[in-house]
Amino acid sequence: MIYQKRGRVARWEHGRVVDVSEAGIAVELRGILVVSPGGGSVDASLDDVASIAKSLLRTKPERLIISHGVVEHIYDTFRWREETRRLHVALTHNHLRALIDRADFNVEEVAKVAHALRRAGAERDAPPRIRLAPTVTAALLPHLVGVAPPNVRLVQSAGGLDGNGEEIREAAGPPWPNVFRPSYRIRPVRTPLNLRLECDVDVIDRDVPEAIALLAPVSGLMLRVLVADGGRFYPTTIRVTRIDAVSPDRTWYPYGAGAFGSEIML
Amino acid sequence: MRSTDTKFAIATRDELWVDGQLTERRLSCGTAVDGERIVATQTLEDDLIAACDAEIEELRTDLDPDARVRLVARARRVRGMVMTDKTMTITIDGVSIVSRDASVLRRALAMPKTTDRTDLPIVWRDGSASVLLHEAVGHAAEHEAAFVKWPSWLRVNDVPDFALDDVGNDAKGADLVSEPPRCMRRESFRDVPLRRMTNVVVRQTRAPFALPDEYIDVHLVAGGAYDPLTDVVTIHVAASSAGAFTYHRTRADVAKSLAGAKGAPIDYPGVICSREGQELAVGSSAPLIVTE
Repeated sequence: MIYQKRGRVARWEHGRVVDVSEAGIAVELRGILVVSPGGGSVDASLDDVASIAKSLLRTKPERLIISHGVVEHIYDTFRWREETRRLHVALTHNHLRALIDRADFNVEEVAKVAHALRRAGAERDAPPRIRLAPTVTAALLPHLVGVAPPNVRLVQSAGGLDGNGEEIREAAGPPWPNVFRPSYRIRPVRTPLNLRLECDVDVIDRDVPEAIALLAPVSGLMLRVLVADGGRFYPTTIRVTRIDAVSPDRTWYPYGAGAFGSEIML
Repeated sequence: MRSTDTKFAIATRDELWVDGQLTERRLSCGTAVDGERIVATQTLEDDLIAACDAEIEELRTDLDPDARVRLVARARRVRGMVMTDKTMTITIDGVSIVSRDASVLRRALAMPKTTDRTDLPIVWRDGSASVLLHEAVGHAAEHEAAFVKWPSWLRVNDVPDFALDDVGNDAKGADLVSEPPRCMRRESFRDVPLRRMTNVVVRQTRAPFALPDEYIDVHLVAGGAYDPLTDVVTIHVAASSAGAFTYHRTRADVAKSLAGAKGAPIDYPGVICSREGQELAVGSSAPLIVTE
């Protein structure tokens, strides 16, 4: 089978915009993956990523990457087009680093974390009950595969096309029916896409402290997070051992092969 | 430091061989024109592709049939000058080495473990101190980290082995103890050029030297990191007399722990350095160094 991808992306990084036009072909023949430059180009009107960067630079990020891309894929008889927006921000204050990854350019959400980080106090023990903001939950979901607590269901959400142009089907466990292909330069990987969490209990107690941002990449079931508790903010480390409630409202985030984050309560 | 409207063209050929069988083969080729914005376009640069293919063919003569071997050849052109580089990364039992000689890795992996203690002084052998100082001095310099007092006998220099950097400036060396690297580098035509190390050479001048009563011999390092936020250096030791272990120190503690050194720089197999997602080979050499 031959997989072809061509696209254009505008990326802001290290104070500059990179406008990339590229096409590639991947062929797997007798067990050998051969990748080479392809032909064609994509006409696309791309966002002004420099202007978005300008508005985010007010938060004085340690690292800021903003990209908007349009790609066309061809695999066998399937042909499809995708548009992606990605925002990665690392914010620092004293010895804390907040990590933000989004599939939109929501400047207010970044400003909210920046505000909390600047006011963060000393490390505290994790509160007995805590809410995870949707962005924190989304980062956790790929780590719950195979180890999700029994009272919740971790599900691949139906909708859209996978790395081979096949429809993404609803699935609750292995063998996962779809493949993820983040680049034409690597082999597609069979893995769950667009994960979401479901629970019979969906009532969230808004009075419990909320983990609003990650302070480190998720490591297994350990989360190092920035907590908002009333008007106070502090870093803590939590281990996810049980999930008491999951909100039905979801937002897609670019963690793993995609994850729908929802507010959850531990 | 940055040239404007420089045209940078690069071709990269890479291959993955597993137990003597080719499993992956890739070609990437394109041009970046640096201006206010970088316009990066896929192009076919026949001379660069031919140069890569010649380098890959030469690397293949050293393929080990019982290892996972990744070959990478790059040919880049800037200001009309073509420069090439190539690396072979050999992986056995999950441990990698940038070398064309798998026996170096096999010898390191066969080293007997003679102590369970990882809190002993360390004797960094076979040039492995270059990785420690790549992280503690080189990356800190890239991030323009706060001043740390290093021993007066220590020199850590970036010594480029090519004529032009990736934005067309003359490649200049740097004293990494007091200044950041002077070369701008990028992994591909898609990437933003960054100030990066090229070839780290650690030297000692009249350093004290005495072997401690008890110590760990380190021969091979699996990887390392420097966090500019915490100023902490992390080194994952792969082969030593204490087995594999992880070394964490603040940069100030690394500086204080340098107890002595001996001899001329020894070429370490090499480092594939990843920063901002851009992987680049960095040459590495250091004398035998003792940390306490």
